[in-house]
Amino acid sequence: MIFIHFALRNIRAYAVRSLVTILLLSLTTAMLVFATAFMDGSHDKMLSNAVEIYPGYIQITHPDFRAKPSLDNLIFDVEAVARAVAATPGIAAAAPRFETFVLFAADEKAVGGMLSGIDFAAERRLSRLASSRTTGRYPEDGDGNQLYLGYELARRLQVEVGDELAFVGTGADYSFAADNLEVVGIFRTGLFDFDATAAFVGKDYFDGVMAATNYATHFIVQPEDPHAADQVTAALNERLGRHYVAESWRTTMEGLVQAMLVDSIFGYLTLAVIFVVIFFVVLIYTWLTVFARMREIGVLRAVGTRPGQILQMLVAESALLALAGVVLGGMIGAGLAWYFHLHPITLAMSEEVFKQYGLAASSMPTTFAPLIILRDMAMMFVLAVLSTLYPIIKANRVKPIEAIHHV
Amino acid sequence: MFNVLLRIALASLQRRLARSLLVIVMIAMSLWGLLAMEGLYDGMTEQVIDNAIRSDSGDISIYGQGFRLDPGLHHLIDNGAEISTLLHRDARVKSHVLRLRQDGLIATAHYSRNATLMAVDLAAEDRHGRLASYLVEGDYDFGEKGRGALVGFRLADKMKLKVGDKIVLSAQNSSNEVAALALRVSGILKTNNMALDESAVYIDLARGRDMLMVPEGVSQISILLHDRQEVMAVRQKLQAELGNLDVRSWDELYPALMQGREMMAIFNLITSLLVFCVAGLGIFGVMLVSVLERLREFGIMLAIGTTFAEIRFMVFAESFILGLSGYLVGSLLGGLTLFYFYRYGLDLTMFSAGLDAFGMDTVTYALIRPGYFGTALAAVSGATLLSVLLPLRILRKARPMQAINRI
Repeated sequence: MIFIHFALRNIRAYAVRSLVTILLLSLTTAMLVFATAFMDGSHDKMLSNAVEIYPGYIQITHPDFRAKPSLDNLIFDVEAVARAVAATPGIAAAAPRFETFVLFAADEKAVGGMLSGIDFAAERRLSRLASSRTTGRYPEDGDGNQLYLGYELARRLQVEVGDELAFVGTGADYSFAADNLEVVGIFRTGLFDFDATAAFVGKDYFDGVMAATNYATHFIVQPEDPHAADQVTAALNERLGRHYVAESWRTTMEGLVQAMLVDSIFGYLTLAVIFVVIFFVVLIYTWLTVFARMREIGVLRAVGTRPGQILQMLVAESALLALAGVVLGGMIGAGLAWYFHLHPITLAMSEEVFKQYGLAASSMPTTFAPLIILRDMAMMFVLAVLSTLYPIIKANRVKPIEAIHHV
Repeated sequence: MFNVLLRIALASLQRRLARSLLVIVMIAMSLWGLLAMEGLYDGMTEQVIDNAIRSDSGDISIYGQGFRLDPGLHHLIDNGAEISTLLHRDARVKSHVLRLRQDGLIATAHYSRNATLMAVDLAAEDRHGRLASYLVEGDYDFGEKGRGALVGFRLADKMKLKVGDKIVLSAQNSSNEVAALALRVSGILKTNNMALDESAVYIDLARGRDMLMVPEGVSQISILLHDRQEVMAVRQKLQAELGNLDVRSWDELYPALMQGREMMAIFNLITSLLVFCVAGLGIFGVMLVSVLERLREFGIMLAIGTTFAEIRFMVFAESFILGLSGYLVGSLLGGLTLFYFYRYGLDLTMFSAGLDAFGMDTVTYALIRPGYFGTALAAVSGATLLSVLLPLRILRKARPMQAINRI
């Protein structure tokens, strides 16, 4: 206890050094807490946008479909998969999709694009297609040849709501498939490539025109808790057996997941450069104050204070300063993380950049995760104390007589 | 006299050698990290821009009026040969290529997908943007009869295409009929230009003209200049001479890349400011203590006739020696690191899926710009000079002459 008392006295006695150390550690901790919250938050937002707009958290396919996405590797028994999905706990919604690429033709324009047969009612809970509508209406199942068209594709085909267009493609049985479609709604998700290629009709109509009854390219599954997607995927795989395979978004969107990881690594590398300098400054300030008190240390040693006791006193002093800095910085960082969690940061300047990378996000909320904040604070505390150990140990090794005569 | 003052400054730094070394190491480490970070991040950004320019936009591109908003065969450049002659005459133009493009559909026996047909002269493309260097599989050749095709690697991956596979391209021709062409994949290109990798199918220009029934006319003329600084001047001249065509510089065609470059510059600036402010704080602490602990010494110097300006010079010299030493060591380490990454690159193959998602090369080559070292020297000088202003002010107020009598 006496060491804490001495430490507190010394902190007050060297007020400027104490203040600078606390401010630097506060700045460092606030930066780390906020940077982590921002990186995690922006990555979560980009990933959830990319996943929720259309691809979904879990996809079920034929085991060979990913390696060879041909019409030979479809789901040929949609009802069996639907039964397995229904029997698996933790699932909020699921529906089959059939995606194929066709040539759309409208008056004088012909453009290749993706025509998909979907369950419009179920998609309201599986994707953001319905909420991305800009004009017309969101179709309903049983609407027949009514088409829900991407904004950019509509622009390229020069069609609007109410216009007709034709498509030419290949049916599920490799037959020639063609029909006329009527545009009833246009959507814009913000993902340029998706909006420039995607078009949707009801699965019931699609099955008829494409000879795809009870077939699907994949099944999309929405878990009740998106964070439990991996567990639900494992449970689904147990039920599906070897005929089908369920994969979570971490596998189906591996590139994007890895891109976020790379971004985080570079972010932390940049922070590391800043932190190295800050910890050097903390080390230098500790050095200056410890060596300024060298005579005091020598006198303490001369009157019988053991080196271990002096070490405890100096470490207690550093620990108290580190604690004050880390707590203050943690509170500032947490406050910022909380504020920007409620009021996301708008990055208007970056909108074009995000669009180019297919990330429909211009406002980025930070995450507010108390456990992560405490982890960052604990890490900064340990690093701060460690950075002061060298001068403390070095000063403590000086002989009492030398210390007393230290100039 | 200045020599004597410099020697005293050096002696002061030597007397507190460990402390001086700590400051030098701090500056060197911060500079090392900053230089490496700046060169690598700039290298990454410029590689992405370079890929876009080489594979698509050139420094300047010419399109038919309205083509960019409504890409099709009805917005072609009719006087390509005339423009070629004009470009050959301009000494600032290094090379140019003519391309014919049309949106369409690529299909295999099992699968189909939307694609962009790029009818090109392969030899000219290689002379122009070194397109052959992007080949990752197969041959950079359309074969003797021009029946080969080069496919973007992401499209090839999605279609599960291998070299030698048969594909069928269909697209609307100039008579608004759907035309088809059977080809074999002769090679796969990875340009890291996401739009091209995702959808481009390069075919022989003559065969493309036959298929699309376009005996003359091109969609795009891509121009590379000897000096990128001339872009605006050449663009303005071309726009004035080709008033009915759409002449665009690369940054107008890829605004996201320009924004990315600007964001990176701001990011580097903020990081550098932060690091040098903190480093300045470290130097300030050392110089403050150095001045305060020598009050009596300065008092004696003043008493024997040294002027305050000379003492000020001595303190500045101490600070500058510390800063310059740190700068030299940091620049050397940073320069060597940059040279290593400039020559051998930073291999991030383990994150290839993530980098592909961002359209980045897996090996990043650092840039070495003289400006990095100039800016760093200015920043270190600024930090060292600013950090002694307050200690000198304190020194003046402390009346060193009276300090002689203090114990």
